[in-house]
Amino acid sequence: MENTTLSKRTVSFGLALAVACVINAIIVVVKEKSDAVMGAMKKVLGHHWTTHSALIVALFLVLGGLLGMARGGRGIAISTNRFITTLISAIGAAALIIIGFYLFVD
Amino acid sequence: MTEIILMAHVLFGVGCLIAAVWLFVDVLNVSESNLARIRRTSVGAAVFMWLAFLVGGYWYVTAYKVDKAVILKGPWPFAHNMVMETKEHLVILLLLVATYLPIAASENLVQSKDARKLVLWVAATIAVLALAMDGEGAIISMGVKVALMHH
Repeated sequence: MENTTLSKRTVSFGLALAVACVINAIIVVVKEKSDAVMGAMKKVLGHHWTTHSALIVALFLVLGGLLGMARGGRGIAISTNRFITTLISAIGAAALIIIGFYLFVD
Repeated sequence: MTEIILMAHVLFGVGCLIAAVWLFVDVLNVSESNLARIRRTSVGAAVFMWLAFLVGGYWYVTAYKVDKAVILKGPWPFAHNMVMETKEHLVILLLLVATYLPIAASENLVQSKDARKLVLWVAATIAVLALAMDGEGAIISMGVKVALMHH
């Protein structure tokens, strides 16, 4: 496996994007299924969606910064194909979880 | 005023979509001569998306409850139960992907095939998600319209 020629910042924030997308979908399911979680999210910023959005954006930014510090500041080692596959699969999976949840479960 | 806010939301969203498609085509024909434009367009797509998100988010939090009540009493309750619920969470994905676009586009797209491949995927994802948001917005508007016509 040949490591990507992409910069550390591009890989770090790309992987952070993948994680944030999946967490976004998980929060959707958890808050819709738990009145306690939904209530707590409404309390934090006045509306569950505002809290949800702020949490995910913050996660993306913080995680992107943290992943850049991995391996002593050299960032995550990954091949380009694997990186792009991970990124697009995570976005697709998150979208399918959200659509599937409101279509079949909620 | 809420109608102006809503139209601004759509306008900014379409701006993001056009920027993403423009960037996609520009990257297919990348050279030193259009590299700066590609990077400016990537920032433009992100700025348009943030404006669409903030304006639409303000409308959703402050004004949507009236439309929601109308939709739920009409013949298309799915316009809220399924479509709006999906849209309000899918748009967060779109916001993140659009925010990431300038980061990916800051790579040397002329020399790096890896970077070109990544940016093409990211721009295409933005275009698909933005089109989905546009379609969902149309269904939500229609949900209000058919409810008002029904009564």
